[in-house]
Amino acid sequence: MALIDIPPDLTFVALAAVTIIGAILALQARELIYGAVALAISFIGVAGFFVSLDAPYLAMLQIAIYVGAIVVLILFTIMLVRREVGEEAKDSPQSGEGSVGLWLAGLLSLAISGVAALAGPNMPSTLPSGSLPVSELGPTLATQYPIPLIILALLMSATLIGALVLAKVER
Amino acid sequence: MVVFPPTTPQEVIALILYIITSHTFITIIIFPGFIHLTLVVMFLTWYERKLLARIQLRIGPLYAGGPGGILQPIADGVKLIFKEVMIPYKADKPLFLAMPLMLVLFAALPFAVIPFGQHWVIANLEVGLVFLFAMTSLFPSMILIFAWASNSKFPFLGGLRSLFQQVAYEIPMWVAALSVVMLAGSLNLTNIVEAQSKIWFIVPAFLSFIVFFIAIMAELERLPFDLPEAEPELVAGWFTESSGAVFMVIFLGLYMKVYLMSSLVTVLFLGGWWGPAFLPQPVWFIIKTLIVATFMIIPRGVYPRLRVDMLIKTGWTRLLIIALANVFLTILLIHSGILSAWGI
Repeated sequence: MALIDIPPDLTFVALAAVTIIGAILALQARELIYGAVALAISFIGVAGFFVSLDAPYLAMLQIAIYVGAIVVLILFTIMLVRREVGEEAKDSPQSGEGSVGLWLAGLLSLAISGVAALAGPNMPSTLPSGSLPVSELGPTLATQYPIPLIILALLMSATLIGALVLAKVER
Repeated sequence: MVVFPPTTPQEVIALILYIITSHTFITIIIFPGFIHLTLVVMFLTWYERKLLARIQLRIGPLYAGGPGGILQPIADGVKLIFKEVMIPYKADKPLFLAMPLMLVLFAALPFAVIPFGQHWVIANLEVGLVFLFAMTSLFPSMILIFAWASNSKFPFLGGLRSLFQQVAYEIPMWVAALSVVMLAGSLNLTNIVEAQSKIWFIVPAFLSFIVFFIAIMAELERLPFDLPEAEPELVAGWFTESSGAVFMVIFLGLYMKVYLMSSLVTVLFLGGWWGPAFLPQPVWFIIKTLIVATFMIIPRGVYPRLRVDMLIKTGWTRLLIIALANVFLTILLIHSGILSAWGI
């Protein structure tokens, strides 16, 4: 028995306030590390939204991946890649790199649009109703939504290759 | 009769009694909540000092009272509270004071999903394991922010090492836990323990137990992976500038994490609360957890420290490969039906 019922609207307003104020502070912070902390708080607010929408698994992954890892990434870039004031950006693409990127991007967008055009009519138009147990998540993704899953996988491998190209040390 | 808001004194008393005797209150405040956690963490600090002393042929804490100086943690606490909290000149004061408290908070939160017995769990989340990993994945960021707020070189180097360490251990840790999740078919920690009623998962998933244990040693920054502290190189690593009560709060958080991770090993691999029936379930759980904690403390008296590059290389070229191989092995075990005799 719950003694006090918290109205769902109040939860929504509180979460929205945390998320939006965190986002504003992230943009407004003078010290960049305060910006990172505010961004983390904003992400935690978004995770709260996922919990209130009956998607706890998504909320936990939001915290683990976005708050845990993206904040790490931001801190790394801020602290280790600080440019001296007045220095111009020098990383112009080398010959060949740009055209390869263009080709890949073009192929990828062609593939995505082609697959979407072919598979579009067959996709279920409504989301599964009610909250989905975590154990059903994998089978649903693999059986009902295989095409979007494959497209996402393509996108992620493109991201991975891009990260490898960026991180490659010139010898 | 319980009413809210109460109007007469009898109703106030009834309400207070109702709250104090409710299952929620008992699980949060007494067991497995705050009081139990504080006591075990205090015991762990004494236990580590005593055990290390025995390994090094010393006596360890002795004079603080009780058998073997077991009241030493209380003496330590009183001493640290009365010491001056020195905040470095030009340190970032709000973050410097807030981050130790956040460390304790995020070390205590995951205990909400640890099942100490069939009914001794605060929040029986469907995604308990992911919740626990999500909370613990925030530690390196908080450590780096605290190190940055100290405005000093040694803490900052320690904080950066903590982040490097996370890159090395986190993915092998998740993948090692994956094979347990496949064996149990659930992310809920209570279900994982219940699936081990006939066979503990350390038997079918022994390789992933090894990988998981090494990964959480790196996560807890215990020797041989205590690079972020590294006394000979970095003074005291990321908490060099902390003193007095700040230091005490940080240590509380660190030992709470040791207890958390030992109990996670117990839940995932050692059958949680299962044991012969002459002792209650939580007692079995705590005994197993303290045995795991013992094996986490012993390397501190035995092994030298690794380098950062060695740790990252080990994490990515050995631990991750072994953990992935074990995932495929687990798939084979499940589909071949060898384990069906034990209900898997």
